[in-house]
Amino acid sequence: MQTKILLDEGEMPKRWYNIQADLPTPMDPPLHPGTGKPAVPDDLRHIFPMELIRQEMSTERYIDIPEEVRDILTLWRPSPLYRARRLEAALKTPAKIYFKWEGVSPPGSHKPNTAIPQAYYNREEGIERLATETGAGQWGSSLAFATGLFDMECTVYMVRSSYDQKPYRKSMMQVYGAECIPSPSEKTRSGQAILDRDPDTPGSLGIAISEAVEDAASHENTNYALGSVLNHVCLHQTIIGQEAQQQLAAVDAYPDVVIGCVGGGSNYAGLAFPFAGDKITGKHPETDLIAVEPSACPTLTKGLYAYDFGDVAGLTPLMRMFTLGHDFVPPAIHAGGLRYHGASPLVSRLAQDGVIRPVAYRQNEVFEAAVMFARTEGIVVAPEAAHAVKAAIDEALRCRETGDAKTILFNNSGHGNFDFSSYEAYFAGKLVDYEYPAELIKESLARLPVTG
Amino acid sequence: MTIVGFLVNPIAGMGGAVGLAGTDGRAAEALRRGAVPHSADRAVQALSALRAGDIEWCTCAAPMGEDVLAAAGIDRSTVLYRPAVPTGAADTKAACRAFLDAGVDLVVFCGGDGTARDVFDAVGREVPILGIPAGVKMYSAVFAVNPPAAADLIRRAGEVPCRDSEVMDVDEEAYRSGRLTARLYGYACVPYIAERTQGGKQVFEQQDEERAKNDIAAFIAEIMIPDTLYVFGAGSTTARILERLGLLPTLLGVDVVRNGEVLARNADERTLLALLDEHPRAKIVASPIGAQGFVLGRGNQQISPAVIRKAGLRNLIVVATPGKLAATPLLYVDSGDPALDREVGDSLQVVSGYRIAQRKRVVQTN
Repeated sequence: MQTKILLDEGEMPKRWYNIQADLPTPMDPPLHPGTGKPAVPDDLRHIFPMELIRQEMSTERYIDIPEEVRDILTLWRPSPLYRARRLEAALKTPAKIYFKWEGVSPPGSHKPNTAIPQAYYNREEGIERLATETGAGQWGSSLAFATGLFDMECTVYMVRSSYDQKPYRKSMMQVYGAECIPSPSEKTRSGQAILDRDPDTPGSLGIAISEAVEDAASHENTNYALGSVLNHVCLHQTIIGQEAQQQLAAVDAYPDVVIGCVGGGSNYAGLAFPFAGDKITGKHPETDLIAVEPSACPTLTKGLYAYDFGDVAGLTPLMRMFTLGHDFVPPAIHAGGLRYHGASPLVSRLAQDGVIRPVAYRQNEVFEAAVMFARTEGIVVAPEAAHAVKAAIDEALRCRETGDAKTILFNNSGHGNFDFSSYEAYFAGKLVDYEYPAELIKESLARLPVTG
Repeated sequence: MTIVGFLVNPIAGMGGAVGLAGTDGRAAEALRRGAVPHSADRAVQALSALRAGDIEWCTCAAPMGEDVLAAAGIDRSTVLYRPAVPTGAADTKAACRAFLDAGVDLVVFCGGDGTARDVFDAVGREVPILGIPAGVKMYSAVFAVNPPAAADLIRRAGEVPCRDSEVMDVDEEAYRSGRLTARLYGYACVPYIAERTQGGKQVFEQQDEERAKNDIAAFIAEIMIPDTLYVFGAGSTTARILERLGLLPTLLGVDVVRNGEVLARNADERTLLALLDEHPRAKIVASPIGAQGFVLGRGNQQISPAVIRKAGLRNLIVVATPGKLAATPLLYVDSGDPALDREVGDSLQVVSGYRIAQRKRVVQTN
């Protein structure tokens, strides 16, 4: 019986899939943070290269992957698609569970799928240094890896709670040649402002983004790179879902359920958008696309669909997305990569249109699922990916009740080899089941995101 | 060099084994029933770990301290108080006063809730206090979880922060007849060490109780709805909310606020019911009290089943700091109305920060 479904390097997709081409109406434009008017490409030129701005706004269905980028991607791509037979057996489910394993990349997650092209396009336009933020460290180490390959410098602002929790991620960035700074820091005005107000803050992705954007805007040779949320980031990740479609086709399968975890939304977009495209265009209208988020930061399930800033300081354009408010500092859950107040505008739009279905889980149940997965399939997943594992297990258990032999596909976005302190805390009974008190907030109508 | 005042309530804990539920005023009866004083054993266990420590010990004569220190291998101590035998509450208080006069940095006592109350009576918040658990019931939050934890806290008393911890007044007469009435008696300063097993993040969220209280207060203040009656239960976390609103809280009692105005201070059940008649739209904001974390019942008796039913259980907002929640893995309800307790269900959302809550398991005592 086949466990892994593999593609040859020559079968790796040559184009990214742009879901904007298949939306029934165009996306709401990002708004300039100063004027509140729709942002134009020139507004973004001081922090992004032109080609990425073009991709951000493009409505072409497919965009070619440059040859040099494809060459580097073959270091680990195409990534394997696994059939999780041992998990299925343990769950006694008639469901077929498949997962795309993105932990095979050198930094250990899906993040280099976009780090490589982002570094490439920046270098092509003469940029020498990139500034970025990182939550759990997966993105920071991926951009460090990518910039190193293109002989560029890299500065990473890492959310302080993760910086303390995951020292090896920081070491990895150092190995790849990047500088890693705990955020908020005294290096930027926005970081300093936060520290003045709250010297003990655990930090957040929103704060770290402010710092990296400010760094890029204030250095001529430096651009900013974002590891999630934006359209072009989601675009670069679609190589995951396209590969999965080819791999499933090789065994004559198409998923009934597609699952991924959502922080900013890029790994989810990467797996789900090609399937969402099939759903929107009527090829497979019934696919259940599940987006999994933490109860502590339930952007899609409990947030508002509104224009909000992408960062705490209000330096980014306003984007129409699900948001808990840009000033919300999520509790320091172990899935640091899911601690983001907003979500990708594209993912948000699909949630708003009912194309995808968001669900939220608490920490302990998520780790329980991750442990079951490790004990059956062997892979210790990152706490972020564990959210997808949890939802896949729940779906499979539902199949056991109904007798339905559904095909479930989830994105296993990264390994947890730097996350053992989190597993240790789980086994010690020290994980807190955080919840966003949505009902209290909704009732008081106190939280309306600032819309510029 | 830390100066520690140490006393033992030699009769604490004897009542439990012989079915007396507390030894207040019943020492002779407990001894007659064959109880063996064992509080000394727990204290010896804690103190023997401190033999080599840089601590100057002040204590009381014979069974009230000196003997225990000697048994723990600590032979250098200053006896500041000589009790009458058998010892009683007056001796505990007199010993504490002698410790304060001698300028101790910390008062360590071995006993139960009754001893805690007596120590708190004499020491107040002048210096930190710490209990080595030895009593029958431990509803007060001033006790270390076990003797080794107590030793660790004593050793590091000079460097670790203190937090407000509830001293509970348990009516032993009522308890012996099967009723538990535990009233919030006051807040002592107790040294504590933040949980560090979870790495960086827990430290951020647990080490600073004051920050957590401020965050909770800011959040509740932000979500308060106009023309709604707010019943604030006892405790320092709810008190911080009133302070945030610019109001003067009753630390140990229940206060009622509407549209930024205090309608009743230290209200009893009747007052609460009358106010609820007048203003049916209401919220109850309560914090778990005591070492066990009682959300309803103990410590907040004024917020009776009738009061809760009138306001509606769904209008109960529970608040607690992450530090408190880490110390109470389960929450308890004991409203006095088992049907109401059951309606609470098996878990509660507890607001623990600014727009942050935790889901906590609830245990019903009935």
